Amino acid sequence: MGKILRIYKPFTHAGFLLAAQYRINFVFFVLGDILRCFITFFLWHAVFTSGGATTFMGFSETDMTVYIFISFLTGAVAYSDGSYIVGEEIRDGNIAMRMIKPIRFETALMFQELGERTISAVMIFIPLAAGVEIYKFVVTGTLGFNIWFFLLYLVSLVLSYLINFYFNICYGYSAFVLKNLWGSNLLKECIVSFLSGAIVPLAFMPAGLGFVLNLLPFASLTYIPVMIYLGMYDVPTILMSFGLQIFWLVFFIFLQRIIWSACVRRMSVQGG
Amino acid sequence: MIYVEKLRKEFKKAIKEPGLKGSLKSFIKPKNEIITAVDDITFHVPKGEILGFIGPNGAGKSTVIKMLTGILTPTSGKCEINGQIPYKNRKNYVKEIGVVFGQRTQLWWDLALRETYTVLKEIYEVDDEQYKKRMSFLNEVLDLESFITSPVRTLSLGQRMRADIAASLLHSPKVLFLDEPTIGLDVVVKDNIRNAIKQINENEQTTVILTTHDLQDVENLCDRIVMIDKGKKVFDGAIDSLKERYGQSRELKFIPVNFDIAANLDYEREFNLSDNDIFVENDGHSISVKFNSDKVSVEKMLSYTLSVTHVKDINVGDADIEEIIKDIYKSGVDIGG
Amino acid sequence: MRIIKKIHRTFKLHRIFIKQDLKRLMEYKVDFLTGAVGMLLAQAINLFFLSVIFSQIPSLNGYTFEQIIFIYGFALLPKAIDHLFFDNLWSIGYFIIRKGDFDKYLTRPVSTLFAVTVEKFQVDAFGELIVGITFLCVSIPQIDISINFINILLFIIAVLFSTFIYTGIKLITSSIAFWTKRSGHVMYMFYMVNEFAKYPTTIYNKVVASIITYIIPFAFTAFFPASYFLVGGNPLFNIGGTIVMAAALMALGIFVWNKGVSAYESAGS
Repeated sequence: MGKILRIYKPFTHAGFLLAAQYRINFVFFVLGDILRCFITFFLWHAVFTSGGATTFMGFSETDMTVYIFISFLTGAVAYSDGSYIVGEEIRDGNIAMRMIKPIRFETALMFQELGERTISAVMIFIPLAAGVEIYKFVVTGTLGFNIWFFLLYLVSLVLSYLINFYFNICYGYSAFVLKNLWGSNLLKECIVSFLSGAIVPLAFMPAGLGFVLNLLPFASLTYIPVMIYLGMYDVPTILMSFGLQIFWLVFFIFLQRIIWSACVRRMSVQGG
Repeated sequence: MIYVEKLRKEFKKAIKEPGLKGSLKSFIKPKNEIITAVDDITFHVPKGEILGFIGPNGAGKSTVIKMLTGILTPTSGKCEINGQIPYKNRKNYVKEIGVVFGQRTQLWWDLALRETYTVLKEIYEVDDEQYKKRMSFLNEVLDLESFITSPVRTLSLGQRMRADIAASLLHSPKVLFLDEPTIGLDVVVKDNIRNAIKQINENEQTTVILTTHDLQDVENLCDRIVMIDKGKKVFDGAIDSLKERYGQSRELKFIPVNFDIAANLDYEREFNLSDNDIFVENDGHSISVKFNSDKVSVEKMLSYTLSVTHVKDINVGDADIEEIIKDIYKSGVDIGG
Repeated sequence: MRIIKKIHRTFKLHRIFIKQDLKRLMEYKVDFLTGAVGMLLAQAINLFFLSVIFSQIPSLNGYTFEQIIFIYGFALLPKAIDHLFFDNLWSIGYFIIRKGDFDKYLTRPVSTLFAVTVEKFQVDAFGELIVGITFLCVSIPQIDISINFINILLFIIAVLFSTFIYTGIKLITSSIAFWTKRSGHVMYMFYMVNEFAKYPTTIYNKVVASIITYIIPFAFTAFFPASYFLVGGNPLFNIGGTIVMAAALMALGIFVWNKGVSAYESAGS
């Protein structure tokens, strides 16, 4: 473990510096994206005002607001650039260079992202989570913060990032076929944000579809952590969800290894 | 034709302090220092002349060119070309000039070369008949035919440069600015480009201002050179006069049969020369003697050398402009003009 | 005569670049399809989202599902047209100035703004354009809108000037790059405000509503003009407001752009 850390630490440091260098840009981008949350927030506010009912398919307005912001937060912290980076490497042919280095490509990438994630976590996670809790306190008048749910959420969030990371690497290999990285990533973002519950809670889906979506890996990215944060899952459900997340994590790690060795074989046959 | 008077350009540069604290500080209260890129430069160019603009990297050559082409506004001073001031009424002014930046193309990367010229034809409002005539002339001089239907991104560097020069000449400009037109090209292509520039200059009396690092360009093309260093003009005159002024230096090079005997040569005492006028170098294979031909004639040098030692080989070299310019860059003395 | 010649020249240049971009589209069909499918999917998901909401409530702040779709479709049109013709402004914000590539536009005898924008015809925008038109076509028969000459004329005017609101905002924010070398992220933040335009401004609180009405007036690119057609309303405010805002933003944009061009310090020295 110590040796691994020693080898990969420079990547974390580089990612850290990179993020620090672009922090102003980063702030503007995050601000641009948070605007979307507010639009959704106002839209739901209007829904609750227009509908007259206090709950919408089991969600109160406070639940919905927390859901909007925490799902954004989860998506932002668990974000991974993997598919873009792998795609670029494939497009410009640098992927071949990765094979001659004595380190694992994906591990180096992860350590680099670790640096960036730390910065974004500090810069958006703390203020936004605090904002949500203050909002809850103002609206409901009670201190609803539950440290246990919060800690379980953090565990689920870390799993979410890891799944997302390996999923993105796997998706990145699609650049062998789809050369338009911008387009294929837009496609991915659309599908993922829909299936992960980032746009509409999976509970709002038709029953059969909802059940299937709950089992797919995408639910592990956003829906599961947010439901845990909201305290909507009881302990057995949480344990089962963790099991599901771990299953998908292992699945994508292996899938990634299989695709990678197929690439290596293909390149050693075709010569890059 | 071109009048440049005390032209000056200053840039503000933010001083960045290291670390997070430093960058925060410079964000709140930025500190600037002023860098003078071009420092009161004055020169004139008559119509039809080819002027070489030379100087080491970062001397301010490009900044001067950018001011003359209307890209940058001078901090102070004046420049007037064809009776127009570049940065005022830019659109009207640029109709009369052509510009080529060797480092980057001005052609449209994705368009076929022919389409690129169609775009330029519209932009510069060249009428159909004039366009046809012009294209056939440019084709003759720059030999564009073989790649005119290819997209610009597929051209080789030499083809691209020819295409770029043709693009800058489509509207028959009176003045042509070439910023490093031969950079990165091989010897044959360089030669083609030089011939083309010469031909256009002769045919149409186009005034040409060119910057370069390749002194062959200067020797082959330029009537006159202006040399700048650290934003200041350090020489202005004909190449011959540069040679005359600094080029009295000749080089006598020989391989003695016996190096020990050759060691007896003492030019300084024989001709009573000072350190400035003579420089001897022995690298073990040959001996090189640089001397001032004003102080001692080539003939005397030769006969004295041969009287002391037998040689396997001997020759006397002309003043090398490259050497001269290197010397001037290094010493950086103000020698005006 | 001069003006006719100028218009002719403008169209000819546009034609050359449009032809080129369409050619490229044919060459990279799969790439284009990936982007277009992505774009369509994004809109389809939004539609699904709205339908989930309307499955539970009959109207949103007094607007029916069809009316919301009309506003949504309207919002996409000016966005798409701006995207189609003025996409190169993003390159100004991100890299043209930073890399010193702006030099070449300054050596051309046409306005720099024209030289920059004519270069790119963004075919990706067809996705938005098609979805926008589809939404309008689907919703118009379901709602009470009288189709007559005046309304069609006002509609065209409204879309045209709404486009200039987009362009104006992009122009102002991209020009910042003349001083800072790079302004893409600032552009992005301001541009994202357009997402507010898709829904009735009445659902937002006062602060947000006044920002998108008076400061970053994207409300005039969709809700205000669209609601003139939906519920009548004062054309002087709903359509006239769009014209005034577009004119003001374009004037400011061109002013800042020109200031920026004269402050431009080419890369290096």
